[in-house]
Amino acid sequence: MPVTTIETNALSRSYGDICALKPIDLVVPEGEWLSVMGHSGSGKSTLMNLVGGLDRPSSGSLKVGGKDLLALSEDGLARFRREFVGIIFQQHHLVPYLSAVENVMLAQYFHSTPDEAEARLALERVGLGHRLRNRPGELSGGEQQRVCIARAIINSPKLLLGDEPTGNLDHKSTVMVMELLKELRAEERFTVVMVTHNQEVAAWGDRTIYLDDGVLVREERLRS
Amino acid sequence: MPALKLFPQLIAWTALAVVLLRGCPERRRLTAGACGAGFAAGVLGIVLLSQSFSATSYVVVRSLLGGNFLVLWVVSAAAFYRSTGRSGLAGPGAQAQARPLATGSLSFFFALTAGGVCACRLPAAGGDLLPLLAPLALMLAGLACLAGALAGERRLPAPLTVGFPGLLAALVALLLFSSSFLIRLDLFSPLSMKVMKCTHDFVHQFMESILIPDHIFVRPAIWGYIGFLFGKEVGFWGGMVIWFTPVLLVLLAIRFEPLPKVSHIRQGALRRKMLAGAMRERNLRQVIPALSLVVFAAAAYQSCYPTVEYWDPKPVLVTATAAGDILLAKKGEVDLGDGKLHKYLYRQGGREARFFVLMTPAGKLTVDLDACAICKPDGYGQTEGTVICYYCKTLIPLDTVGKPGGCNPVPVPFVEKGDGVHIDGLTLINAWSNTVQSTTKKESGK
Repeated sequence: MPVTTIETNALSRSYGDICALKPIDLVVPEGEWLSVMGHSGSGKSTLMNLVGGLDRPSSGSLKVGGKDLLALSEDGLARFRREFVGIIFQQHHLVPYLSAVENVMLAQYFHSTPDEAEARLALERVGLGHRLRNRPGELSGGEQQRVCIARAIINSPKLLLGDEPTGNLDHKSTVMVMELLKELRAEERFTVVMVTHNQEVAAWGDRTIYLDDGVLVREERLRS
Repeated sequence: MPALKLFPQLIAWTALAVVLLRGCPERRRLTAGACGAGFAAGVLGIVLLSQSFSATSYVVVRSLLGGNFLVLWVVSAAAFYRSTGRSGLAGPGAQAQARPLATGSLSFFFALTAGGVCACRLPAAGGDLLPLLAPLALMLAGLACLAGALAGERRLPAPLTVGFPGLLAALVALLLFSSSFLIRLDLFSPLSMKVMKCTHDFVHQFMESILIPDHIFVRPAIWGYIGFLFGKEVGFWGGMVIWFTPVLLVLLAIRFEPLPKVSHIRQGALRRKMLAGAMRERNLRQVIPALSLVVFAAAAYQSCYPTVEYWDPKPVLVTATAAGDILLAKKGEVDLGDGKLHKYLYRQGGREARFFVLMTPAGKLTVDLDACAICKPDGYGQTEGTVICYYCKTLIPLDTVGKPGGCNPVPVPFVEKGDGVHIDGLTLINAWSNTVQSTTKKESGK
């Protein structure tokens, strides 16, 4: 029986009168690649933020990696994010005045302690061995996203969250990034939750769920 | 207010109990019990001892403090040596923190010393309080502080741990801080004085051993530099080095402690996490020794700028008769037999001499220069049962004032008659000139 990474029960999130995510039940087994699709404002990012411990739900229960996130204190939640989750954003959020390797080392620093050799290795794994000392401004969009991937996986997360990671990339770079993620997942065996509104990107996953106005409306299994 | 006088000691005792409880977390009950018993025993022991042998109680406590400081030196040096990786031996301190008997003994011993220091601060029996009431009140106050320490220690952050050398450094620092308020127990002043005298004697011996007669072959400028070695500053800074080195060694030992081997761990994140955990734990273990450094500094400051008020009257100008005889009435404006220091200033032909008259506890009147044969003539002040040389902080029991030698005030011949004390002005001036000339000569190195 596969171990569950994410388990939600009637999980919801409201911002004042606006209900961004209506009660949702979701189970994601360990190692699964789940694509979350929906239009803008459908609650995709809200769900991802809750699962990643970036936000707290209004009601319901949420367990990630066996941990009840609602029971965690702020410190506990920060530790959970540090040790359990890796996140790739659409906008990269790289520090502009640090080089690629330093950006990766920054994630190591907040996790435990920096190790340059290991950071170099991570960048080499994503094919940026020749761009170690370049700053984000000197890298293409695809290369920047690959730095983000190296930064996200450097602390060996059990859960990798992607919020439209290929939203700003052309087709060629998108394919390159997705292939890289697939390859890394095979090696590291982490669970992936990928928010996207691109059907082609969603097709890389094992399963796709569709949200509409904060409600889980449909589910589609692509591969087992 | 005797209770207020004990405030620093009780604060130090509370901190000491907190450190002991944190240092032996596995055996809190045993540590607390041993602390309570040790403190009570220390108070009671010193009270009983001081009733029979007043001065001995100070000697006992001071010896304990000195012994602790020496042990800290040995432990810190050993810890530093181990941190270099040259010795594979585990520190014996770890056992002291883990074994029940060792934990209990350690706690009892330090609490005993702390209790002894507090008891030395109590007013002498026969004062306003009943002889047994004050020690009893002190014991109760000590137990209340211990209860406070037990409650307070739980609130300290759990990762704040302390290894054996750090524990010892903190305990010794707190005891020395506590004792620095009592001039008879203070260790820093005598330490700096010994360093000063040792340097002074060494330079003289060195000069004599290489057969350099006084000042013939050496230029005055060089004597100026050598004179620096005879100065008070050498004693102070030398004392500071000896004072602070053990704690610095403890801090360095923790800093250089090897981190656990993690190279066998394949996953980088886990490897780094373990390493970061070990580094964090090591850093936190530096907190208590670092605070001890501050406590050591506070003790040295208290020693250099004591809050003790000395009896030090302004010298009264006296004149001599045509025959050069100075007459001091035994009872007049001042009562020479009141057991207090009475200072006078005599001037003759552009020269002057400062001296004092004192009735010793044995009932013997004595006239002495306000200077000794060794130090700069900074003069003397009077405090409980002693006079103190302001220059080197040596305490001289009142009974020995009037006897020559060492740092005792230089005695002056006098005659006691019915109308008062008669002193020869010329003898006084010459005695002062000879003394001051010789001591300032040593000071400047000329």
